[in-house]
Amino acid sequence: MTDFLELKGISKFYGNIIALTGVTTTVNPGEVTCVLGDNGAGKSTFIKILAGVHQHDAGDLLLEGANVKFASPREALSAGIATVYQDLAMVPLMSVWRNFFLGQEPKTGVWPFRQIDIDKAKMIAKEEMAKMGIDIRDTEQSVGTLSGGERQSVAIARASYFGARVLILDEPTSALGVKQSGVVLRRIVEARDQGLAVIFITHNPNHAYPVGDRFVILQRGQSLGNWAKDELTQSELTQLMAGGAELEELQHELAEAGSS
Amino acid sequence: MADTTTDKPAAAAEAGGDERLAHRGPIQTLLTRPEIGALMGAVGVWLLFWLVSAPFGTVGGTANFLDVAAYLGLMAVPVALLMIGGEFDLSSGAMTGATALIAILLANDINGAGLGLHIAVPLSLAFALAIGWFNGTLVEKTSLPSFIVTLGTFFMLIGAKLGFSKLFTNKVLVEGLDEAEGYEFWNGIFGAEWLRNSHLWDVRSWSNLWLVRDEMWALLLIGGIAALMVGTFELTYARRPAPNPAAMVVAAAGVVVALVGFISLLAQDGSASNWIGGILVTVGVLAAVAGWCRSRYEAPDRSGRGAQAQWWQYLIGGVAALVVAMVVALAMDATDSSQLGYLGGGIGKFVFALGIAAVGALAVVAALGRVTPGYPVIGAVLVALPAISFLVTVQAARVILFGGLALLGIMLLWSTARRVQPAVWVSLAISLAIVVLAFFIQSESASRKLRVELFTVLLLVALLMAASAVARYLSAIRTAAPPPPQFGRWMQLCGALGVASFVVFAVIELADGDGLLYALLTGAAKGGIVAFVAYAVGTVGRTLMTGDEGVGRALVSVGIGAVLLSVAARLLFVTGSELEKICTVGTDGEMRCPQTQFGVVVLSFLIFAAVGSWLLMRTQFGSWIMAVGGNKDAARSVGVPAARTKTTLFMMVSGAAWITGMLIAFRLTAVQANVGDGNEFRYIIVAVVGGNLLTGGYGSALGAGIGAVIWGMISQGIGFAQWNSDWRFLVLGALLLVAVLVNNYVRGRAEKAPTASGAAKPDRAEIAIVVPSESDSGSKGD
Repeated sequence: MTDFLELKGISKFYGNIIALTGVTTTVNPGEVTCVLGDNGAGKSTFIKILAGVHQHDAGDLLLEGANVKFASPREALSAGIATVYQDLAMVPLMSVWRNFFLGQEPKTGVWPFRQIDIDKAKMIAKEEMAKMGIDIRDTEQSVGTLSGGERQSVAIARASYFGARVLILDEPTSALGVKQSGVVLRRIVEARDQGLAVIFITHNPNHAYPVGDRFVILQRGQSLGNWAKDELTQSELTQLMAGGAELEELQHELAEAGSS
Repeated sequence: MADTTTDKPAAAAEAGGDERLAHRGPIQTLLTRPEIGALMGAVGVWLLFWLVSAPFGTVGGTANFLDVAAYLGLMAVPVALLMIGGEFDLSSGAMTGATALIAILLANDINGAGLGLHIAVPLSLAFALAIGWFNGTLVEKTSLPSFIVTLGTFFMLIGAKLGFSKLFTNKVLVEGLDEAEGYEFWNGIFGAEWLRNSHLWDVRSWSNLWLVRDEMWALLLIGGIAALMVGTFELTYARRPAPNPAAMVVAAAGVVVALVGFISLLAQDGSASNWIGGILVTVGVLAAVAGWCRSRYEAPDRSGRGAQAQWWQYLIGGVAALVVAMVVALAMDATDSSQLGYLGGGIGKFVFALGIAAVGALAVVAALGRVTPGYPVIGAVLVALPAISFLVTVQAARVILFGGLALLGIMLLWSTARRVQPAVWVSLAISLAIVVLAFFIQSESASRKLRVELFTVLLLVALLMAASAVARYLSAIRTAAPPPPQFGRWMQLCGALGVASFVVFAVIELADGDGLLYALLTGAAKGGIVAFVAYAVGTVGRTLMTGDEGVGRALVSVGIGAVLLSVAARLLFVTGSELEKICTVGTDGEMRCPQTQFGVVVLSFLIFAAVGSWLLMRTQFGSWIMAVGGNKDAARSVGVPAARTKTTLFMMVSGAAWITGMLIAFRLTAVQANVGDGNEFRYIIVAVVGGNLLTGGYGSALGAGIGAVIWGMISQGIGFAQWNSDWRFLVLGALLLVAVLVNNYVRGRAEKAPTASGAAKPDRAEIAIVVPSESDSGSKGD
């Protein structure tokens, strides 16, 4: 069986700077693939390659077995890969429903009297948000008045409504408090259960481990490996994140010194 | 979360609403609009000049200030859209002059090779669009601030204008447009004027029909306001689950009584019969409205009400309103001229006018946080005065003013007492007494004209009182909204009907050899009437047949339509009795009427404001404008073509500059090289006054239009009032500042008021909020 999205040794160079090298993993519907890494590890380069903002220089990106390279965000979007950025790509002064449908407004009427079908837009926005378990008070309220978790949900609901098959979430929990992070993690699980493939970018292994099915760890542009959940425990994951093999070595040395 | 159980979830759930969401009535919705500050400012300024200057309020005065406003607003609307899109165009002012210069220079015989206007005019449009495209593309490609880029274009245009003018004509004045080939044709478009000396229906004998006399417009206005009020009720209050037949009987009886009163007013003349007829009408209308409301709406549920005003706040407001009302009553008693001469010098009038404006504004503002629905209605009616006074004389409008103010005072005082014993009928009776008093003051006059006006006034005040008193009685404010009705198709149908009849009427007029503007305006008025009648009849019929939920919205639409139509007709056309009054028949049998001129610029301005608003609020492009102004990167990442949107906006501005330039050129036929320079800041100022955010992402095209009207009223009104025009900019500046402040304040309040939790929250609205939605973040977490 071919994987839905397969990455084989994806690399990206900016001149002589190696931004990302040798990333290999698979992404499948109904699974959460977590990409972990500290600051500067290459996470955002990784996202941008998948989202079509940048193009990879080496390696293969296989979408349902076919080799692809996304030239623009629009191409990635039409291939079903939707990205929810850290800044959420929301316009705070605009209403929830306008943000929800931004760029893809439902229209009614005959040109030159074509206009947005506002009633329909509001209804769908409310329904989709309700599916995410968020009962929006009034879709006319501006996104700026929503809480961080609610905004995150609008972005996720929007992506899934517009036919995303792969949902890339860029650090969705980093700006949130403990409780709200939990809410967002629940959304990730819900999106997964709806049959979406989720790529969850984070630097927090405690957030990644409970929801992830597969883990990729990046460190200074290099992939440390690609593990399925059963190949890894949470403490191993934390260790890998916190310095990886180096830390392990240090621990071993300390343990040996103690026993001798 | 959603499953919060409260005591009254059933009603809310049935209505499909969200029980956490306090219902926002139409007035509350209006108050959250960005243009509300400008609207209130415009009304205040109008009232001020109307009171201090007799000609200002006439049709002639209106044409005068609208003309000034139109040249400004024509540009301010696209400039506002560009501003919402996050950019500025400093070359817009210079561009207006540049297009005019290009057209004249190219058209005329320079060195023996004139191109003629048929080529020159489209060429200047192409030039304007090219510059707009250049501005937009440069801003997009280089990511430089548009401020810098267009500043460059601005100076280049100024230099080029002067340089080429001197080069070709050796003068800074380029003239001779009227000698160019094709002048007749283009002048018919850009130089068209509308002379307001014709009847809407040209067959003069029609003016004998009751339908096309003054009463028609007065009734249209009254009916419109009544529909508006009832519609407001419908949108603001919960329906009764079961009808109340007793109340319906009262309503029916009221209608009969009102009709009898109306007929007696029409049939007989004389103080005594006016008196009786007026009282009959008042009582009838009161009973009809009250009965109708009682039969339809739920009793109030006060449990969910938010913070209330203190009793002393009501007390002070009430006393203040009564004092002002007494002054007005005294004024009306002391003078029967159209001016308030006895008040002494300009200062007295000024203070008086300010007081009235302040009370009207207070009523609205007081209503914001307190949400006692009677007050918004009163405030709205006070604010609707300008429209009413178009249809009645100054004296009659004063009666309305007096009645409204007195009513406001009584209501405020009664609110103080209400804490002891709420009884709507007492307040109704007091209100009725006030009307009788107001009526008595004016009933001395037995003239036919005044009787018509008195009837208007009486009915208005009666409706106002009934509405506000019953509103208080039924103040179930925080009930859930009824589901939005599906009126789109029906409205579209009527719209199509209107457009079709507009075309037919316009073509008929054109075929008759009338001017383009005449044909357009007559066609538009008649088409509007057709569409309105179809919509009103159809809606009312449908409502009666099915008891449709959308009746409130429909009534509000009908009301707004009627009010707008009556004012427009009053502005553009002469009514029957007016013809008899103002026109003289010369010795040759020809009828001569005084002429008021409206340039085609006013029509263009109105169209621009309407189309701009529609574009912004309803279309995909409008959404994109707000998105690129609010957060460009976000917009781009969800697939909004940001570069194209912005470039289109720049081209719209320069396209509008071309239209403005042509209008200027064809009005003057000669253009100075520096015409239009410096106007770009006026456009921006006017847009800001209209509620547009300087930083982009939020605003209103209509607001920019209203801002332009404020500017026009002030700059012309100072002349009308015969004030020293040296002070003009001081007044302008101060009023602009006030408009912006009111805008911020009102919007801040209104954004707070609707949240159910808002009442309990500490009041952060006191901080002036430019971006209200931003300030809330985090305080409303789920």
